[in-house]
Amino acid sequence: MKRVPHWRRHLGWLWLSLMSFTLLVLLIAYQTRWVYPEIHAYFSQAGNLTGQQLATRSRDYLQKSLDLLLVEPVDEESRHQAHFQLELAYSLFDIGLYRNEYSCTRPSLEALDAMKLQLRSGARVLPEDLRHGLLDPIRCLTEIEMHQLDRRSSVTAAFVEDTRRHQGQVLMGSVVIFFLGLVFWWMHERHRRRAEHATRESLEWMARALSDPLTGVGNRSALHQDVLSCVGQPKGLILVDIDYFKQYNDRLGHPDGDKLLRHLALLIDEALDGQARLYRMGGDEFAALLDCADDDVLAGHCERLVGGLREAALPHPDHPGAAIVTFSVGAARFTAGQTAFDAGYAAADQALYRVKAGGRDGWQVAQVQEVADSSNLNLESS
Amino acid sequence: MSSSRSYIHLAAWLAAGLMLSSPVAAVSHDRLVLQHKGEEILLNLDELREQADVEFSFYDPYLTEEVEIRGLVFRDLLMAHLGGVPETLHFYAWDDYDVALGGWDDDNWILVTHHDGEPLSLRERGPVRLVERDYGNRDTSSLRNFNDWVWMIKRIESVP
Repeated sequence: MKRVPHWRRHLGWLWLSLMSFTLLVLLIAYQTRWVYPEIHAYFSQAGNLTGQQLATRSRDYLQKSLDLLLVEPVDEESRHQAHFQLELAYSLFDIGLYRNEYSCTRPSLEALDAMKLQLRSGARVLPEDLRHGLLDPIRCLTEIEMHQLDRRSSVTAAFVEDTRRHQGQVLMGSVVIFFLGLVFWWMHERHRRRAEHATRESLEWMARALSDPLTGVGNRSALHQDVLSCVGQPKGLILVDIDYFKQYNDRLGHPDGDKLLRHLALLIDEALDGQARLYRMGGDEFAALLDCADDDVLAGHCERLVGGLREAALPHPDHPGAAIVTFSVGAARFTAGQTAFDAGYAAADQALYRVKAGGRDGWQVAQVQEVADSSNLNLESS
Repeated sequence: MSSSRSYIHLAAWLAAGLMLSSPVAAVSHDRLVLQHKGEEILLNLDELREQADVEFSFYDPYLTEEVEIRGLVFRDLLMAHLGGVPETLHFYAWDDYDVALGGWDDDNWILVTHHDGEPLSLRERGPVRLVERDYGNRDTSSLRNFNDWVWMIKRIESVP
């Protein structure tokens, strides 16, 4: 089964968290941009065509007409004005909704027509005519108004209830989404911290795996890694071996032998002015890796190193040829890379053994002719 | 006898003539006033009715029935008389209703002159009124959705 990378897992939580907060913002935008204008449009009807009930406006015109016809004498101008008001009233009264839902509408419209005809004919308008032609339609319109107001109130109440429920749902949704966002963010943060902790631990383990626990310098693996991290660069490798270290241990004990090793690591570092990285290759053998493009420079380092160690004059009670600890040093140059390193290491080791064979307490630099990091290396020892 | 009958006939015709020419019958709304940049343009409604060249039938939400409509594309009328379509127009109606509205650069708005083949009068919310030829899927049971259909238009002013 394919394993999902750790970073992708915690990126997934981050995405979920960001999506939650984005959804929250969209929800708020929806509420603000669409829902509130809808409420505004619903309740802000004042001043437009249906802002005031058509029935109310129609009734107003009928009442004006009635006013005109009740004032004696009813002259032509009054009849003309009353007729005009009746026309307006009729147009606002003749609405499909009123015709279909209120049975008094059609008789009222017919009564208005009759009243208009009477006004046009010039016939005298009697109280009975006004009662039938105007008061009955006014009563009808009042009934419509009252019913429409009731209906509007119930519709408004339902709308308000719907809106309240909708807002409650949106609020609940917002809270849930917000907390989901927080939870996702917390999951993301937890995974990120875990990943960070794991990375830090890995680095610590890697560092531990690459260092020598006794002396604190690098180990053989560290040397390989360092060499491979600077492929192509000219390097010098110096191998240092303590002469008669077994005898030292046998005489003074391994704890003192360990102290000598730790001391030696410091001495090598000082002698090379901190320019080299040090490694313990195993037992009493150390290696120093430094930038070096010239055999003479490398020879200078070796000379300075051996001189520094002699100056330290560490006592060795069982040394067959001297009273102090002596060292054998072999060195070689190479161009960083796996194959060249192997060759360089072998050359330095051979040089070291030549020093050993020559009586120890000395140094030698192997001359390496190389064809950039290839296996065709010809080693020439000096 | 025959002479008196002739007088009665004459008197009846005179009465009918007087009735038809009385002030009540003479309430005429025969002009539509356009005002643009301080200038008034008087449009004869009979001429507008003759020019009406758009005919269609649609469901009138105010009448709750299918009606035959005839009229003019309002935008074309504005272009023809004002040379353009003002952003906002102020409408004045015969019932003293007035309102300022925008969005007239749209050939969906029809200035209605005839309803079911008859010229509109005040009684049919005329002499001219505005409707949308295609009002989409708006709910026709809610008249609030059609409250920018201006009725009984008497005067239209462009708002600078």
